[in-house]
Amino acid sequence: MTAFGAALPRRAGALVRRAAARPQGFAARSALALLLVLLVAPFLPVVVWSVTRAWFYPAIVPQTLDLSAWTSVFSATSGVPAALGRSVLIALSATGLAMLFGVPAGRALALHRFPGRRLVEVLVLAPLVVPPLAVAMGLHAVFLKIGLAGTVPGVVLAHIIPTLPYVILVSASVFSAFDTGLEDQARSLGATPSQVLRHVTVPLLAPGLAVAALFAFLVSWSQYGLTLLVGSGRVPTMPLILMQFVTAGRQDVAGAIAVLTVLPGVLALVLSARILAAAAARERTTS
Amino acid sequence: MPIPRRIVLGLLAGALALPVAARAAPLSEDALRTAPFETIVEAARGGTVNFFLWGGDDRINAYVSGPLAEALKAEYGITLNRVGVADTAEVVNQILSEQEAGVTDGGAVDLVWINGENFRTLKTGGLLLCGYAERLPNARFVDWSDPSIANDFGTPVDGCEVPWSKARFALAYDSARTAEPPKTMAAFLDWVRANPGRFTYAAPPDFNGSAFVRHVFMHAAGGAEALSGPFDQARFDAAAEKAYGLLDDLEPFLWREGRTYPTDIAQLNQLFANSEVDFTFNYEPTVFGAGVADGRFPETTRSFAFDDGTLANTSYVAVPFNAANKAAALVLANHLLSPAEQLRKADPAVWGMATALDLDRLTPAEAEAFRALPRHPAVIADEDLADRAMAELSADWLEAIEKGWIERVGR
Repeated sequence: MTAFGAALPRRAGALVRRAAARPQGFAARSALALLLVLLVAPFLPVVVWSVTRAWFYPAIVPQTLDLSAWTSVFSATSGVPAALGRSVLIALSATGLAMLFGVPAGRALALHRFPGRRLVEVLVLAPLVVPPLAVAMGLHAVFLKIGLAGTVPGVVLAHIIPTLPYVILVSASVFSAFDTGLEDQARSLGATPSQVLRHVTVPLLAPGLAVAALFAFLVSWSQYGLTLLVGSGRVPTMPLILMQFVTAGRQDVAGAIAVLTVLPGVLALVLSARILAAAAARERTTS
Repeated sequence: MPIPRRIVLGLLAGALALPVAARAAPLSEDALRTAPFETIVEAARGGTVNFFLWGGDDRINAYVSGPLAEALKAEYGITLNRVGVADTAEVVNQILSEQEAGVTDGGAVDLVWINGENFRTLKTGGLLLCGYAERLPNARFVDWSDPSIANDFGTPVDGCEVPWSKARFALAYDSARTAEPPKTMAAFLDWVRANPGRFTYAAPPDFNGSAFVRHVFMHAAGGAEALSGPFDQARFDAAAEKAYGLLDDLEPFLWREGRTYPTDIAQLNQLFANSEVDFTFNYEPTVFGAGVADGRFPETTRSFAFDDGTLANTSYVAVPFNAANKAAALVLANHLLSPAEQLRKADPAVWGMATALDLDRLTPAEAEAFRALPRHPAVIADEDLADRAMAELSADWLEAIEKGWIERVGR
């Protein structure tokens, strides 16, 4: 692992290797369960808020069960279902683009020595260091001039800024642990290039890249200020609508929206955990 | 992972090209001010209007995206796109950024729900379309000579915005806890001192907390007249001495001995709902009814206004100088002023926001429909508010009072 790869992605890399090295799926499954509990537990009061009304001190438990927050959230006039779809579209597009640029960059940084590599590493980290809102203001001005402000493609492009560093860092870590010699071995045993890709390269890299994509998805999903500014308010994603109800003190509606906001993140987490578990299983059968 | 360069470039070009869409040639600004309204309606037909407004109330959202949007579509073929914001200042920043970026046409905002400092910022910056408001056909139902319509927090409206709703400050209490609330400011302050820890107010610059502090200021200055007109440092200093002294002395009797204040009205509402304090307040008393309806306030919530006067303001809709769909925005602004739409908005079952129209200018039947509207028991009767209404202070006074509070009391 290079010095660069040792920075942030150590945890992600370790996660991948540990999952892959597990002799049994039980420990991996328990770790996943614990992670889910940690994620979900602070969330329970929010769920309760969303299905109750007129819950005042000193009542310890809600006095009434009421689904009106959910009815209002799912009504055609609330804009929430549309925002949910929009958020998914934006996060998936931003993830796709970030992977498109970030994975090759990560590979280059991990496997190749070239002049100016240090500088590139610093530049890659820059979006994590510079306050994103400062970047967003400048970007908003530029996007206004070229007509990208207030559009979904504009927001997607803006989301590449905070997501790209995560993808590059994680994939650099993945590639630094990747032994290209395995590809050579497969070839020397007579594998065709497509067989090498299918049976060697992808299985070895997929778990790590899934983690990279998960990071990108979650980072894009939770953007607030960047979406607000670059979207000119006209690209209402879930965090934007959630904020409107949180500042208005509407725990019931905010609770319902918060539940919907967290679901795709949990889904993405479960999916990547699946990929990791599958990789671990494959590791067991091949070793 | 080799990816062909032309695919990358193609994707980028695609992403960049998407938002560039053709727009029909709009009416000139002069035409919007002088053309017959039918011409404006024709120009707007089939278009879209991006209406930016505070999005924190699902009832308002449902009204704007529902019946209002449907009426606009049916009558004018215009699609209303409701754009919710957490704070209207975001919209002001958006328009300011567009101006800085040189976007003089095709701006994001077509119509914005606005008043007070936000209006002043845009008007003084020359960032609003002006001179059309009184020419809208439905503007004849508005009493433009009414000072509370002609001035928005002391800033002359000058045809740069169209009144939408009236609001007056009221306090809410829980009749199950407080049998008879103190109804003058002096009696109220006595009540606070006699019931330590049972009252607090949202810290300025919260919109509502700031309005409460202005009531205290007017009380300390000996009445609203002492602070009327343009800002005057000497008059401010005299009143400030008394008002901040009074608020400082009140601190030990406030919730948590005044060591901390709720930072926004939502927090104060929650303290009230959970019986931690006995009062909350709002510049728009219909929220008490809505609050009971959506379970934020107890069923026994009631509201009142101070007998010595309660602040009144009007909220408006305005069209930014660079709006992409000015004609459609004007049609919507005019539609919002129609007696039928104002009546629907004033219905507590829909929203309950008081009309900006002058009932004397409507047909007797129309006026009667407004008077016959039901009232939520938690909401103070409109007559009781109208009797006590005081004009808002100008924005300079407002800012000085907020700044002074933050420096001397809020520290």
